[in-house]
Amino acid sequence: MTMTTPHVSTEVPDVAGAGADSPGPAPVPTGSDVPRAVSVLVFLRDRGIFMLWGLLILVFAFWCSPYFFTVDNAILVANAGALTALFAAGVGIGIMTGVLDLSLPGTAALASCVTGWMLTHDYNTALSLLAGLAIGVAVGLVNGAISLRGFNPIIVTIGTLSVLTGLASVVAGGYTFPGLTQLEFMGTHRYLRIGEGGSTFTGIPAPVFIVAVVFFVGTVFLTRTRDGLRLMAVGANAEAVRRAGIHSDRYKVLGFVISGVLAAVGGLVNTANVTEASPVASPGILFTALTAVALAGVALTGGRGSLPRVLVGALILATIANGLIIRGIQPYWATVATGALLLGSLMFERVLQTAVSERLMTANLSVHARN
Amino acid sequence: MTENSTPALELTGIEMHYGFVRALDDIDIHVMPGEVVALLGDNGAGKSTLLKVMSGAHKPSHGSIRVHGQEQSFHAPSDAAEAGIQMVYQDLALVEPQDISTNLNMGQETLRKGPLGLLGFVDRKAMRRSSEAELDRLGVRTAPMTRPVEMLSGGQRQVVALARSAIRVNGESRGILLLDEPTAALGYEQTKNVEGLIERMAAQGIAIVIVTHDLPLCYEVADRMVILNRGKKCADVPVEGTDRDHVVGWITGSRASMFAA
Repeated sequence: MTMTTPHVSTEVPDVAGAGADSPGPAPVPTGSDVPRAVSVLVFLRDRGIFMLWGLLILVFAFWCSPYFFTVDNAILVANAGALTALFAAGVGIGIMTGVLDLSLPGTAALASCVTGWMLTHDYNTALSLLAGLAIGVAVGLVNGAISLRGFNPIIVTIGTLSVLTGLASVVAGGYTFPGLTQLEFMGTHRYLRIGEGGSTFTGIPAPVFIVAVVFFVGTVFLTRTRDGLRLMAVGANAEAVRRAGIHSDRYKVLGFVISGVLAAVGGLVNTANVTEASPVASPGILFTALTAVALAGVALTGGRGSLPRVLVGALILATIANGLIIRGIQPYWATVATGALLLGSLMFERVLQTAVSERLMTANLSVHARN
Repeated sequence: MTENSTPALELTGIEMHYGFVRALDDIDIHVMPGEVVALLGDNGAGKSTLLKVMSGAHKPSHGSIRVHGQEQSFHAPSDAAEAGIQMVYQDLALVEPQDISTNLNMGQETLRKGPLGLLGFVDRKAMRRSSEAELDRLGVRTAPMTRPVEMLSGGQRQVVALARSAIRVNGESRGILLLDEPTAALGYEQTKNVEGLIERMAAQGIAIVIVTHDLPLCYEVADRMVILNRGKKCADVPVEGTDRDHVVGWITGSRASMFAA
C-alpha cells in the first residue's frame, strides 16, 4: 500500500474471519475498527472545550481564592454570560445551518424598540413581548427569502442590519424607551430565593433560566427531532438533502428564523436588564458571540457543532472576565486573554485534526477533514 | 433475471435537442427487473443526457418513458423517485458529519411513537436497527451505524450511497437504480466489493443502469451493454460472447452501428 492511494484496502485480519463464512460475493470490508488513539483524539476535539473550562475554573479557584469558587460568584458568572450565550446560540445555529447572520444586533434593537413602544403605550406585557419575538420571525423570513435567491447571506444580513437599525430609530423617534419596569420579571429579578429577603440563598436571576431553557430546547431540537437533524444536514450538504426529496430551502429559511428569534430574545432580555429599550444596535455583542461560537469549535463550513459547547464557550468568556476582575486586573486583559485563547484553540484543533487524519489513513480509513 | 416480460424501465424514441444540437437521436432502451444494463459511450456520446432523462432531471424533446409498462412523464427528479427510480450521483450526496444511520434514513426518518413522535422526535434506535437490517439484507458489512460518514473510506461511502438508494427503491419492491460511474474513485478491492453489491441488488429484482467508462466493471456485472455514439444508439448486445474490441470499436465509432440502415 502506498500513501498516494489511501483508498486501497489491505487485508484486515479480524474482518477477514468474519467475511469468510458468508457465501457469495466477498463482503464489503468494515475496515479495522477505529484505533483507540483516534477515539481519544476525537473525544478531545469534541469535548476539549469542557475540559478547558474545567481547567480555567480550577486555575481561578486557586488564583482568586476565596472569592471565585463560590455559589454566588457562579451565579454572577452565569448571569454575566447569559446575554452572550443567547446571541451565541443565534449565531451558532445560523452557522450550523450554513448561514452567518450578521443582522442579529439590528433584530435585537428593533425587537426591543417595538416591545418598548408597545409597553409605553400601555399594551399588555405578554402581547408586547410576542410582538418583539414576531419581529425576530419576520426578519428571519426576509433574510431567508432574499438569501434563497442566490445572494450571499453575509452581504444580505449586513443590508438588513442597516435597515433594522434605522427602523429601530424610527420607532423610537431618535430617543429610547426608559422605565420599562414591567419586564423586571425577566431581567434583574431573582427566583428560588431562600430565607428572609434571600438571606440564605440570593436566588438565581431570570436570564439564567431563559438561557437554560433556550439551550435545552435547542439541543433537544437539533439532536433528537427530524427537523433538527435535517437542519444540520442542510448546513453540511444542502444538495444531498434536496436530492433526498426534502425541501432544503425551507430548512435554510428555518435557520434564519431561529437565529432571528434568538436575537429578539437576546434584545428583550437586555432591555429587561436595563429597563430601557435602545435603538442603538451594538455590533460588539455579535463579535463576542462569534468568539464564543468559534471557541466552541463550530466550523464555519456548517453542519457541525453543538449547542452545549456554544454555551460553554460563552461561559468561558464570562469566567475569564470574572476571574480577572476579582484579581483586580484591568478588564482589557480579559479581551486579550479571550483572543489568545481563541487563536490557541484554533491551532490545537488543527493539530488534532491532522493527527486524526494521519492515524485514520494508516488504519486504512480516510477522513476528509475540512477546517 | 425474472420471467416477467414487462421491462422495469423502457424508453422509446427519445430525442433531445439543445437548439440545433441533437444530444439524443431516437434512442430506444429498456431494462428488465433484475437486469444490469451498462450504458457505454465516449465523452459527449449522450450517456449523461440519457441518464438525466431517465432520472427526471431533463425532459426529452420527444419520446416516451414507461415504468413497469405505465407511461410516465417526469417533470422533476421527484416524479422519477415517486415512480421508483433512484439515481446515485458520482458525488454520492452524503451528509458527512452525520452518521450512517441518519444518512440512510434522510427524508424517511422513523418517528417515535406517541406524543413525542407528534412533536417530530426521531426514533434513533429504530432507525439504527432498520439500517442494520437493510445493510445485512444487501450483504454489506460496513462500519457501526453511529460512525459519521466523514470517517469512512471512499469504498464505504460508495456502499452507503448505493445502499441508501437500494433501500429507497425496495420500498416499491420493483425499483430501478441509475448509477453514475459507481467505481470511478475506488481502488481495486473496493471496486470488487461494489461490484458484489450491484450483483446482489440485481439478484433482488432491482433493475440497474450503470453509466461507466470502466469496461472491466461492465464485463463483471452487466448483463447487457447499450453503446451510444454521438447521440445515437449504435449497439445493444449481451455482454456474454461480445468481443471487447468490438465494444471499443462501437464506442470510438470505428465500428459501424448495428442499427445502420
